[in-house]
Amino acid sequence: MTVSDTPSSDTPSIAVDALSVFFGATRLLGPVSFRVAAGETLVIMGETGAGKSLAAQAILGILPKGLRAEGSITINGRRVDTLGPAERSALWGREIATLPQEPWRALDPLMRAGPQVIEAHRYVAGLPPEGARKACARDFETLGLQGAERRLPAALSGGMAQRVAFAAATAGQAPILLADEPTKGLDAERHARVVGLLAQVPEDGGALLVITHEVAVARALGGDIIVLRDGRVIEEGQTRHVLAKPQAPYTRDLLAADPEAWPKSENPTDGAIVLTAKDLAVTRGERVLIEGFDLSLRAGERVAVTGPSGIGKTTLLDTLAGLIAPAQGSVQRAAGLGRHAVQKLYQDPPAAFPPHVSLERSLRDIARLHDVAWDRVTEYLTALNLYPDMLKRRPDAVSGGELQRISVARALTVRPAVLLADEPTSRLDPITQRQTLELLSEITKDQGIAIVLVTHHAAIAENWAHQSITLRAPA
Amino acid sequence: MTDQTQTGAMPRPRRAWPRIRPARGLGFTLLALLALCAVAGPDLVGQDPAKQSLLDARQPPSAANLLGTDHLGRDMAARLLSGAQLSLSLAVLSVLTAGLPGTLLGIAAAWYGGWTDRLLTSFADAVLALPGLLLVLMLAAISPGSWWALYAGISLTLWVEYFRYTRQRARIVIAEPAVEASRLLGLTPALIIRRHLVPEIGPGLLTIAAFGAATAVTAVAALGFVSVGVRPPTAEWGVMMTELLPYWREAPFLILQPVACLVITVLALHLSVGGMRRP
Amino acid sequence: MTTARPFLTILAQRALQAFIVAFIVGIVSFAMMQALPGDAAYRIAAGRYGYDMMDAAAAEAVRVELGLDRHWIVQLFDWLGALAQFDLGRSLVYGSPVIDEISVQLGYSLLLAAGAVIASLLIAVPVGIAAGLKPGGLVDRVTLAISIFVRAIPAFALGVVLVLAFAVQLKLFPVAGFRGPEHLVLPSLTLGLGLAAVSNRVVRDAVADAMAAEWQLFARTKGLSARLSVLRHVLRNASLPVVTYVGVQMAYLIEGVVIVETVFAWPGIGHALVHAIFARDVAMVQGTALTLGLIYVALNLVIDLACRGIDPRTRSA
Repeated sequence: MTVSDTPSSDTPSIAVDALSVFFGATRLLGPVSFRVAAGETLVIMGETGAGKSLAAQAILGILPKGLRAEGSITINGRRVDTLGPAERSALWGREIATLPQEPWRALDPLMRAGPQVIEAHRYVAGLPPEGARKACARDFETLGLQGAERRLPAALSGGMAQRVAFAAATAGQAPILLADEPTKGLDAERHARVVGLLAQVPEDGGALLVITHEVAVARALGGDIIVLRDGRVIEEGQTRHVLAKPQAPYTRDLLAADPEAWPKSENPTDGAIVLTAKDLAVTRGERVLIEGFDLSLRAGERVAVTGPSGIGKTTLLDTLAGLIAPAQGSVQRAAGLGRHAVQKLYQDPPAAFPPHVSLERSLRDIARLHDVAWDRVTEYLTALNLYPDMLKRRPDAVSGGELQRISVARALTVRPAVLLADEPTSRLDPITQRQTLELLSEITKDQGIAIVLVTHHAAIAENWAHQSITLRAPA
Repeated sequence: MTDQTQTGAMPRPRRAWPRIRPARGLGFTLLALLALCAVAGPDLVGQDPAKQSLLDARQPPSAANLLGTDHLGRDMAARLLSGAQLSLSLAVLSVLTAGLPGTLLGIAAAWYGGWTDRLLTSFADAVLALPGLLLVLMLAAISPGSWWALYAGISLTLWVEYFRYTRQRARIVIAEPAVEASRLLGLTPALIIRRHLVPEIGPGLLTIAAFGAATAVTAVAALGFVSVGVRPPTAEWGVMMTELLPYWREAPFLILQPVACLVITVLALHLSVGGMRRP
Repeated sequence: MTTARPFLTILAQRALQAFIVAFIVGIVSFAMMQALPGDAAYRIAAGRYGYDMMDAAAAEAVRVELGLDRHWIVQLFDWLGALAQFDLGRSLVYGSPVIDEISVQLGYSLLLAAGAVIASLLIAVPVGIAAGLKPGGLVDRVTLAISIFVRAIPAFALGVVLVLAFAVQLKLFPVAGFRGPEHLVLPSLTLGLGLAAVSNRVVRDAVADAMAAEWQLFARTKGLSARLSVLRHVLRNASLPVVTYVGVQMAYLIEGVVIVETVFAWPGIGHALVHAIFARDVAMVQGTALTLGLIYVALNLVIDLACRGIDPRTRSA
């Protein structure tokens, strides 16, 4: 990779100098400065709410109403922050291409995949109708999308939708690609495919700017990195160096939160068997998703279940919970376990609480129904680093991480023997994710509770659990 | 290989409509005034709404007849108040008789599903097969001029909306992880309905009730106006409009009074729940 | 909002609805017949032969002929049986076949309904788009206030006000009846304003939602101009909720036709229905109510098919 110091109009580049974004007098982002030239990659990394997306929006000129950008932005040698909206939008697709955050929502739901790419070739690249059709067919072939031309966005998988969006975004041959959280919501396999696609851009002589919260994405793309926290630059440098030798404490935390870096869990205690599944089958409609699933769950044991999306992980969990009758096989609870001995933790914590009722009322209801003293509940809360004061609020007024811990405390109130957790941390930031899972393993160990964790993250399954089960579709 | 599930299908909050802040306050104030008038009735002006006096026909407002007299010399104010009594009591009654069963059946359909749901939904669909007013019109025609036929017809058409709304919302709420969690945690059905469902559907039901009451008031007047509802000499706003229409030229202020009463009532009901309902 | 339904399912659902309409109308008409005061045989005989030519013997003959002495349940089946064979009978007042009366009136009613829908779209679409392109702007707020106010005016009151203003005061349009196209203006406007008061907000929401959608932004950032993005993506997506809502409004339209025809003495089915109820002409009530009900079903079917045409998701499913 060569770095050219003299910007000229014919080398594709993007240069940002002292960019800040304000809401009124409050600075939400910046000041941040960087430069990406042809063949180079820049990764902007930070947690949700760190202001990463504001950088992308400021560069494109699509900041939400009420927000204002300062500083200079130069695209391909031309200062753009001083241009009017019409002139800035003329750059889109031609000078700078954008990959959307959530590809499903970025595609017109009523138009088939092919025409959405064809129209970009036709109206942005200016090809004649026949040429545009051919160019689209070429794109679909290179991207492994053959046969998807006639599909509507709703019938595309997340990975396919992202590739269709990629084809549409790059049809105008813009030399700069801006990707904001391009891997959001994709499972491991599709994840790798999109990252591979992005890595190709600088190899082909383009300039790549990627915004992500995932360390793995940054590691795979290399180039330079900027670490953001609360809108401020914490650390910057070559990705390789920063990831290997982080200087700022925050960067260290962020890297330590990457499940790849977690220490391997110790061996399980030899508890009594609390739940047994024998030759279990899970079906959706007529389709058999999982067959011959066996599990003997011991008190205090942590089991992780992984597998691609759509394989039936959630349905399996519901079957273990007794919410769904097994299509085949059996689920047996140990003798003496009550009706409430199996509890669930959910992926989206706010969706697991009655939204219009204060958290305290929800918890007191449960304590009352199970004859548990309120003091016990507050003990659990304290053990989970929570303050009973925050219970006065409604579920939407506490953070996702806090709410997930409150839902753990809520489950503990009924003294369960088994906790079934369905991606309980996938909506949380990496650092919060690590804290939550650590607390969860501590408290279940203390109480001798067995836990089954469904996750799409192979490293979490590997390092956090005692035992990891990977599901595969039956042949 | 294709994963057909769509994670992006979560409904996004819709863009808020511009809020007209004083609207609800104005609506409530008007409603309170109307309710007061309806409760007091013609006694408020101390006149008999039925007493004719042909010599005093079509008089402009005076101390004795605050809003003038109609073509038969009856006191307009007393007749309008008597009409308010009729319309509003019928509206309140039909909102109650439609709202309670509609809501309860909606919850039942969502909770039990299966045959209960199918049966109730089919019944609701059958009622909706005809435009509501057409059904009211025909039912009212079985025994013309009867207050009861109107009341029954309006209630029968209005319950469907409570039912459909409650059923639809309740199905969504019951399918949410929150309800599943509460069930696993041992909450009783009654408590689940109280904590999860009631706060969720309450505001929507209130809106339906206000709009339903407005529909009832309008229907009574419309039927009275086309002479198939309440019959003269009963003082009813729609009937009064028909009676006074021929005297437009001579006494324009007469016909405009029942029109204004009707519009103000409907407007007050609409405004009290925010003015315009999201379709 | 719209669920994916195959073509045949749509047809079957609407056919079932048509059947239910006929069933309800038949039963209610029969109940109306039973509730009529006096002896039905005398009344029918009088209707047939005239009051002067009618006596107890003629009434008795009618009673035997029509089986009016049988149990009412048997008669109900008879009644519904005749309806199933599209035998609407004769008007009890005019003596002419109901079907003849209706075939004359139907054209007028459809003309009024079409006029109303066109008037409402002419008002609602431009107003809604203008408000939806700038949500929260001046146009949005002003049209919201006007919509709330107009919506609170029931159709017949609006009709009365329009008649008083345009026909009686300003003498711009004829008051009532139908003798030429100028007679169509006020009734259509009355109904159209009522429809537009709500549907302009639906257009506004649809446009605002589509403009704020992520796919709209992506269409722009991939390089399409604002104009192309609106033409190729926004209009189609925004039209779906609007057309669906026009379907919801069909109930209001039919109700409005009944009332507004009466206000303007419009020679259509709605006016005939009200007239028949007033005159207790049960055969005419049944015929007109049935026709209005079936028009309603037919309009819903048209909307279903239009939605299907706009939304490819319902076809590929």
